[in-house]
Amino acid sequence: MACMHDHSCEDHDCSSDWSLYKHIDLSKVSALNEAVPGSVKSVFKAWEHRLNSSEGQLESNEGDPELIVFISFTSDVKIKGISIVGGADGTSPSKMRAFINRDGIDFSDAQSMQPIQEWDLAENLQGVLEYQTRYSRFQGVGNLTLHFPENFGGDTTQIHYIGLKGEATQLKRDAVANIVYELIPNPSDHKTRAESGGEFANLE
Amino acid sequence: MVLEGFDFTDFLFDLIYQATMICIDNSEWMRNGDYSPNRFQAQADAVNLICGAKTQSNPENTVGVLTMAGKGVRVLVTPTSDLGKILACMHGLEIGGEMNLAAGIQVAQLALKHRQNKKQQQRIIVFGGGPVKYDKKVLEMIGRKLKKNNVALDVVDFGEEEDAKSEKLEALVAAVNSNDSSHIVHVPPGSNALSDVLISTPIFTGDGEGGSGFAAAAAAAAAGGVSGFDFGVDPNLDPELALALRVSMEEERARQEAAAKKAAEDASKGGEQSTSQDATMTENVAAAPSDAENKTNDLMDDENALLQQALAMSMDDPATTAATRDTDMSEAAADDQDLALALQLSVQDGAKDQSSQTDMSNLLADQSFVSSILASLPGVDPNDPSVKDLLASMQSQSEPEQKNNEDKAPKEDK
Repeated sequence: MACMHDHSCEDHDCSSDWSLYKHIDLSKVSALNEAVPGSVKSVFKAWEHRLNSSEGQLESNEGDPELIVFISFTSDVKIKGISIVGGADGTSPSKMRAFINRDGIDFSDAQSMQPIQEWDLAENLQGVLEYQTRYSRFQGVGNLTLHFPENFGGDTTQIHYIGLKGEATQLKRDAVANIVYELIPNPSDHKTRAESGGEFANLE
Repeated sequence: MVLEGFDFTDFLFDLIYQATMICIDNSEWMRNGDYSPNRFQAQADAVNLICGAKTQSNPENTVGVLTMAGKGVRVLVTPTSDLGKILACMHGLEIGGEMNLAAGIQVAQLALKHRQNKKQQQRIIVFGGGPVKYDKKVLEMIGRKLKKNNVALDVVDFGEEEDAKSEKLEALVAAVNSNDSSHIVHVPPGSNALSDVLISTPIFTGDGEGGSGFAAAAAAAAAGGVSGFDFGVDPNLDPELALALRVSMEEERARQEAAAKKAAEDASKGGEQSTSQDATMTENVAAAPSDAENKTNDLMDDENALLQQALAMSMDDPATTAATRDTDMSEAAADDQDLALALQLSVQDGAKDQSSQTDMSNLLADQSFVSSILASLPGVDPNDPSVKDLLASMQSQSEPEQKNNEDKAPKEDK
């Protein structure tokens, strides 16, 4: 499903809609089969800069149009829509498959797994096409993996911009990282900082 | 070992977690004695060294091993951080058959794919001793697939020297290489052990600073021959001990430099450039005070006064900032009496039971634990400055400090 922006964007602030890029944890963004490692980070920017490719773009390796983009968010988000600006001359991706909350998907996984949703993309050089998601499935998204299996015939696939529309909740999905298991509680292990002069914590 | 307040990125520790699969060649061609004692044994030594280096540079690194020849490709151990398990599986390997490079790499890739911690970077290290029967094209395709899935590849080309073999392996690594993450090393037969040659290569030193500390030390040791080992301990024979000794010396030096630097700042003097001082930790030391936890900062303040005296007594040139990043430690030890003392102390300490030493120092380093013990002792007030100094001294191995504390300790008797 796609929808066109049929209004002029000067008075309507489209950019605020496409503000989920602010909740992306850029240090954890990665891509597979990118020609220049780290170039994937340049495709997440404000909506008004979507056509501006001065910071580089995401390009796949020569002769291999497949791309996987892994996006991790700083908190759980709800995704309403996705917009992709591809490259010219057949280098735009033609299909997109999305997986949510899965770590470490590589090409063999992506090809065999059933995506949570997939879309046929059109060439969208101006960035006005928006692909809606089945919102109920994109409710608590901690990370999003996008797989672009094919393009429109070019030698490589280029992506200049990936826009995400939706809302951010403040919840985090992280697994509990610091668990201490005790057989017998030892009060001296549970001192608070204020009492680190050697006293025991108050147990209530 | 407890290393508090250090900037790990420049130290031995790699902030990049790696999962590595090592592909061993146990084909018939490994019986040859052109590497001493024979190709297989040289390979095994190199593998042991690599496993040690990887697991020690970061505790979250994992290493797995598989054999490529014999009856077929066989995974001996899946990626694990347990060094003992890895070394144990190297025993009792049988030599025979022909090396299957393509299958070996593909199985390694699969083993890495199923690693437990998906955040780890994937790396395959291949020891290519026997002849390579695959085409260059096939190898390039395998290489491209590895690159696509973000797997790095290191190849050790040794043993058989066929015409096309080196060319094929070079093509393979070139296909995988992205941003200098993959390397190939050609080791011709000779008197140098395979492991010695590998130590100075990027295979050991890793992509960045990571293993360079370990590698530099081991290289210095190996290059110096038997007499040149830093602490009288062969890093090859006992890498853990050598590492522990080096670490305690680095710790000591860094602490002194940090304290001296603080002293210089406090006194508002200009930094004196001292080229004779080893400055491996210079950048860390600058970063360390700001990065250190609160308790380590307190530690520095307490120690400062004592260290001032110690440094004045033992060093000719006050160590502040230095221009060089020379990592040759034996030279530094010779220049600096105090460091030499610390060195000897470390050796003595290192001679004790390693594990109990580590536990003890962990316990002692836990300041809160020690404070609570002291609090429970009658008549001892943990806030007493002399007690604090005692605590501070237990965190370090500095002799001058201990002397001072021994003077103060008798006053403590109540």
